Amino acid sequence: MNFDELLRRRLVFTVGKGGVGRTTVSLAIGLEAARRGKRVLMVELEGARGLERAIDEQRKSRPTAPELRRIGHIEVEGKRALEEYLGLVIPVRRLLKTVFSSNVYQYFVAAAPGLKELMTVGKIWYEVERTDATAPDLVVVDGPATGHSLQYLRMPKAAAEAFPVGLVHREAERIFSLLQDESATAVAIVTTPEEMPVNETLEISRGLSDLGLPRTLLVVNRVHRAPLTPAEIESLGGASPRDGDPASPDEALFAEAVRVADGETGWAELNRENVLRLAREVPIPTVRLPYLFTEEFGGLHVDRLSRDLAGQLDGKPSTEAA
Amino acid sequence: MSTEPSQRIAELVRSHRILVCAGSGGVGKTTTAASLALWGAMQGRHAIVLTIDPARRLADSLGIGPIGNTPVRVAPETFARAGLLVKGTLNAMMLDQKGSWDELVERHAPTPEARDRILANRFYKQLSQSFAGSQEYMAVEQLGELDSSGRYDLIVVDTPPTQHALDFLEAPDRLLDFLDRKIVRWFVRPSMSAGWSAFQAMNKTVGFILRKIEEVTGVGTFAEVSDFFESMSSLFDGFEARVARVTELLRDPATAFLLVAGPDEQVLDQVEYLADQMSARRMPLRGVVMNRIHPLFQGAGADLDADEPGEVVARIAGPAARAFGREVPPELLDRLARNFCAWQERARGDALRIEGFMQGLPEGVPLVQVPNLPRDIHDLEGLTSLHPFLLGRVA
Repeated sequence: MNFDELLRRRLVFTVGKGGVGRTTVSLAIGLEAARRGKRVLMVELEGARGLERAIDEQRKSRPTAPELRRIGHIEVEGKRALEEYLGLVIPVRRLLKTVFSSNVYQYFVAAAPGLKELMTVGKIWYEVERTDATAPDLVVVDGPATGHSLQYLRMPKAAAEAFPVGLVHREAERIFSLLQDESATAVAIVTTPEEMPVNETLEISRGLSDLGLPRTLLVVNRVHRAPLTPAEIESLGGASPRDGDPASPDEALFAEAVRVADGETGWAELNRENVLRLAREVPIPTVRLPYLFTEEFGGLHVDRLSRDLAGQLDGKPSTEAA
Repeated sequence: MSTEPSQRIAELVRSHRILVCAGSGGVGKTTTAASLALWGAMQGRHAIVLTIDPARRLADSLGIGPIGNTPVRVAPETFARAGLLVKGTLNAMMLDQKGSWDELVERHAPTPEARDRILANRFYKQLSQSFAGSQEYMAVEQLGELDSSGRYDLIVVDTPPTQHALDFLEAPDRLLDFLDRKIVRWFVRPSMSAGWSAFQAMNKTVGFILRKIEEVTGVGTFAEVSDFFESMSSLFDGFEARVARVTELLRDPATAFLLVAGPDEQVLDQVEYLADQMSARRMPLRGVVMNRIHPLFQGAGADLDADEPGEVVARIAGPAARAFGREVPPELLDRLARNFCAWQERARGDALRIEGFMQGLPEGVPLVQVPNLPRDIHDLEGLTSLHPFLLGRVA
């Protein structure tokens, strides 16, 4: 699958454990799509703030980049989405106000499990299906940041079961079949090559399969690259502390250089085991993004990763990863 | 009092009965909690670590996995094999990740019939899958039980992975809000079970609203929600009292909160807010464990520009040749130097962020730093290797 094939979808939904760089990967995909001329809507779920901040950083660090003009951002909030939706059902404004301010409604929204999540997914599809002049070509959703990445994707199915008839039931079924449609929806699983995130990735992957949802792309983020081979480190005297004080400042510097090289090589080896495990257990198109040593991770780094991600999908070797 | 931060963390562990490790997911919270509990056991305490999702290999190597919701004691032979002198005992209890709500219902339903009715309710099934906070609540409830069992004099709580460091503290209150009496009463009114038609007779507007909402959501929904709350209501009375009791336990002077964080987290920007919020809950922050840091090399050459590995090469060529036995190939030296410069750049970033973080910390809260060592910790040796960083040389 090359990047243009990914772009034939209308919705890209990222999932993954908290802290693996899901927001960065979402934006990386959005940026490249915009570079290829697509109008992209980046969607953030209720309560998260990272994506908006990351887009702002893009605008600050690369103010003249033309693709940024094609990037939009919204935050989708379940309760507001439900109100928009009820607005379509109850066209009289005064009455709507009565509904929204009534305890009945407040209690119902608080109590009906999953209704807010369902409305969130519904609102995302509304954006996907818009056809007006400002409609986006591609919607990229930075998935939920909790351990329950699948919650939102599962919700339409759950709602269709919880509400046996009625409008919600019909809408939920329709949305779920759209999510299942591989030609319309891409799900990108994001992970780092470490034990716990990989465990969760295997769980997510199974969950997606069980739900009949697409597993389009696996992005392995922060892959360390070995600067030296273990044999080379050994040939330089190894990384164990030498006896006594170093003879000179240069000796100390050299010992430190070998020590951190050994650390990086160690990480690269640990990563390699997990990359192999992923390749075995999640055999889908995979992109590996390098761990970047930076004083402060910012807009320019996201841009680099964006180009690397697209390049790898298009069959170019990674410019950075091992 | 000792002045080294690590010795002050050691003092903290010695002088408290409950340690709560808070923080967002993926920063080594579980490992830190296990390492602290092990240290307590080595000092002669009867320690238990209450944990959520330990790495499988760690649980296996301690011989404690995967039993849910039951305390398991690490066998003395396990310590002997690792050559560790443990004067007390080390126990672990893993919260069953999936069955938390079912477990609550099983435990607190007044009758088997009530239990079955709840477990079969369609809303309950959705709720138990999607309502966050059940894990947090279970952790809090289990903490209360472990404490009142009287069997442990050191309880280390590894809080569930959350996005925000404070989520754990807020979860019990959020659950109480959700189970707010007013909402429950509203839904268990007899008129609700009868469906909206009863309301319609009472009040035209309410009837209209309900009809509209039901059009959107599905006929009969209200009756089902009502049934759900009615069957759950038998559990609610107890909830409130239990949450109140554990909240008091969390405020006990013998309880200390530790924040576990990493150097590239959003939480670093929010430390003042975090500390204020914790004080406001009367659960003050007592210490910080900063995991996965890249220590900054402070010796000569530390301030070299990361873009200029040439200078590093010039300086290390001599010592490298002595270690290598002859002149080192320039290409190898270059890789070594570039990696060092990259590492230093990252380390400078970590140092800056940690310095800013410490300025926001309330005075007197110790912060210890644990380097980003290239390994997954999965045995006793790994856990003890953290002790010098966490607790100083006292171990």
